Amino acid sequence: MILGDLLDAHVRDDQGRRLGYVVDVRLVLDRPASGLLAVPRVHGLLVSPRTSSSFLGYERRDVRAPALLARWLRRRHRGTFLVLWPDVERLGDDEVVLRTGYRRWSPVLDA
Amino acid sequence: MKRLFAVALGILTAIGGFLDIGDLVTNAVVGSRFGLSLAWVVVVGVVGICLFAQMSGRVAAVSGRATFEIIRERLGPRAAGANLAASFAVNLLTLTAEVGGIALALQLASSVEPRLWIPVAAFAVWLVIWRTKFSVMENVTGLVGLTLVVFAVAVFLLGPDWGELAQQALRPAAPASEGPAVYWYYAIALFGAAMTPYEVFFFSSGAREERWTRRDLAQSRANVLVGFPLGGILSVAIAACAAIVFLPRGVEVSSLSQIVLPVALAGGKLALALVIVGIVAATFGAALETALSSGYTLAQYLGWPWGKFRRPARAARFHLTMIVALLVAVAVLMTSVDPIAVTEFSVVFSAVALPLTYLPILVVANDPEYMGDAVNGRVTNALALVYLVVILAASLAAIPLMIATGAGS
Amino acid sequence: MKRRVPLSSRPFPADEQLPAPPRPAGRVLDARLHLLDRQVHDVDETPVVVVDDLEVRGTDGDEHPTGAQEAVVTALLSGPVLGTRVFGGRPPATRWHRIAWSDVTEVGVVVRLGVRGDALDVTWTERWVRDHVVGRIPGGRHDPG
Repeated sequence: MILGDLLDAHVRDDQGRRLGYVVDVRLVLDRPASGLLAVPRVHGLLVSPRTSSSFLGYERRDVRAPALLARWLRRRHRGTFLVLWPDVERLGDDEVVLRTGYRRWSPVLDA
Repeated sequence: MKRLFAVALGILTAIGGFLDIGDLVTNAVVGSRFGLSLAWVVVVGVVGICLFAQMSGRVAAVSGRATFEIIRERLGPRAAGANLAASFAVNLLTLTAEVGGIALALQLASSVEPRLWIPVAAFAVWLVIWRTKFSVMENVTGLVGLTLVVFAVAVFLLGPDWGELAQQALRPAAPASEGPAVYWYYAIALFGAAMTPYEVFFFSSGAREERWTRRDLAQSRANVLVGFPLGGILSVAIAACAAIVFLPRGVEVSSLSQIVLPVALAGGKLALALVIVGIVAATFGAALETALSSGYTLAQYLGWPWGKFRRPARAARFHLTMIVALLVAVAVLMTSVDPIAVTEFSVVFSAVALPLTYLPILVVANDPEYMGDAVNGRVTNALALVYLVVILAASLAAIPLMIATGAGS
Repeated sequence: MKRRVPLSSRPFPADEQLPAPPRPAGRVLDARLHLLDRQVHDVDETPVVVVDDLEVRGTDGDEHPTGAQEAVVTALLSGPVLGTRVFGGRPPATRWHRIAWSDVTEVGVVVRLGVRGDALDVTWTERWVRDHVVGRIPGGRHDPG
C-alpha cells in the first residue's frame, strides 16, 4: 500500500459509525536499519473530524505563533485523536475500520 | 569600508530593481486618472513587500529553503499545485509584459518597430540567464535602473502646485469623474503591482543563489528596509508626474511614450534619454527575474535541481523551463497584443494569486524546526496577520471588481 | 472536497480529555508533516525529487498490512503518484519510481540520501533533457560568468 491510500480515508468504528478522516500517519523510527537510518514503523493514525485542511504543523506542542492562526487551526481540528496501529481492524477502499474497544489518545506531538 | 560598500551597493540595486513595467504603467495610469489619491496604496504595498520579502529571505538564509519549496511542503500537492498553476500563469503574463516593455522602450529610443525588437530582447534575456553570474546580473540592472530617479527630479522641475498634490495624497477620495468601483479596482492593481508574488520567489531563491547565511541577514534587512521604500517613492513620483501633466487635461495614459512625456517636458532630451535607459534596465531586470522565477517555481515544486550557480547542464529542466517561457512570451507578443494591456491584467491577477504564497511563508517563519531561534517576533507576526487579511480581501475582490468595472474602463 | 463529520454525531464527547499516548523509544515523525512533499537531496546536496508518497509494507512483506501486524515504510515514491495525490485515483505499481528507505541517511528540513541522484531511476527526465537539449546548446556545460 502507499500512504496516499490512508490519507483522507474515512474512519469508522466496528459498528460502522463515522469517526472522521485520517489526516496524518504517525511514524516511529525504531525498526532495525537496513541502511544508515532506522526504519519508520507505522505507530498510529491521526483522525480528525475534518479532511479539508491540515494543521499546517500546529499539532506540535511548541509551535504556537502567530497565536491567532494557531488557535484558529487548532479549533478547526478540535476533536482530533490518535489511534494506534494495532487498533486498526481492516483497510477497505478509502476506509479504515477500527477494532472493538479501540482507544483514543491525545494527538499532540511533543518536540 | 568593504562592508559599507556592499551595503550601499545592495541598497542602490534594491532601489533600481524595485520598479518593473507593472509599477511604471499602473502608477502612470493611476496618476493621470486619480492624481495622488491612491498614493496611500503604494505605501501599504511597499510595507507589505518589505515584510514578506524580508521574511522569505530570512527563511531561505536560515533554513536553506526557497519559497516554493515551502509552499509545497506546507500546503501539500493539491493547494500548492493550484498556487503553482496560478503563479506560473501570472508570472508568464508578467514576463510577456516585461519583454514587451523592453521592446517599447527600445522603440522610443530607435523608432524601430517593437516587433523587430521583441526577439532580440528575449534572446538577450536568455543569454544573460545562460551565461552571466547572478550577482553581476543583479548589480548591473539595478544600478542602471537608478536612472529612473529622473522621475523624482522631473516632479520638482515641473513646478507643481504642491498644496494641490498634498491635498490629493492626504485626503484620498475618488475624483468626481470616477466611480468608487473603479477607484478600488485601481487600488487593487497598484497593490498587486507592488506585491507581485514573483518578487518573493525571486528574492528567496536569490538568497540561495548568493548562498546567504544568518550572517547576511542584517545586510539583507538593510537592503529591503531602505531600498524598497525609496523604490516606492519613485513609484509615487511616476504617479505625480502623470498627475501634474495629464490629470488637469483629462488625458488618460495608455502608452509608454505618454509615461515618459512628463520627464521630457521637464528636463528635455537628456532627461528623456536617461528615463529610456532606466526603463530598459528596469524592464530587462524584471524580465530576468520573472524568467528565472518561472524556472524557480516549477523546479521547487517538483524537486528539480535549480539555480544559476549550477552549470545549465546540471539544472537542465530548470533551464528548459525558462527557454520555453521566453518562447511563449515572444509568441504572444508577436500577435501584436499591446504590452501595456498585458501589464494591466498581470498586476490584477497577481493580487488574486497572493494569499496562497504569503500564508506558508508566515507559517514556516514561525516554525522552530526550520528557523531555530530566528522565528518571527511578535510585531512581525501582528503586522503579517493584518496583511494576510488585506491580501485575502484584495484577492477576493479583484475579479468581481474587474468584471464590474470592465477592467477599469 | 470539503468533508466533515459533525462532532455531535460521534459516539464520544467532542472535548474529552485524551491521555498522552505511550511514548515510543525512537524518533516520532508525522508522515504528512515531516516527510511528504519535502525536498530530497542526494549525497552531493543536489535536489533529486520531492517525496510524493511513501510505500508501506507489513514486516512479513504483506502488501496490505492491517493492525494485526507491524507495518513499516520501505520506500519513498515519486513520479506518477504525484498526479494521483492531486487528482485522485491510483497509478499501477509498475509506474512508481521508488527510492529504497535504506538509501535515506537523514530526515530534517530536507530528506538526505547517501547515494548520487544521477544513479537513480527517478532522475531520468533530467538526464534526458541534459543529453538531448540543454547540454547541446553552446555553453551549456560551462560555469556561468
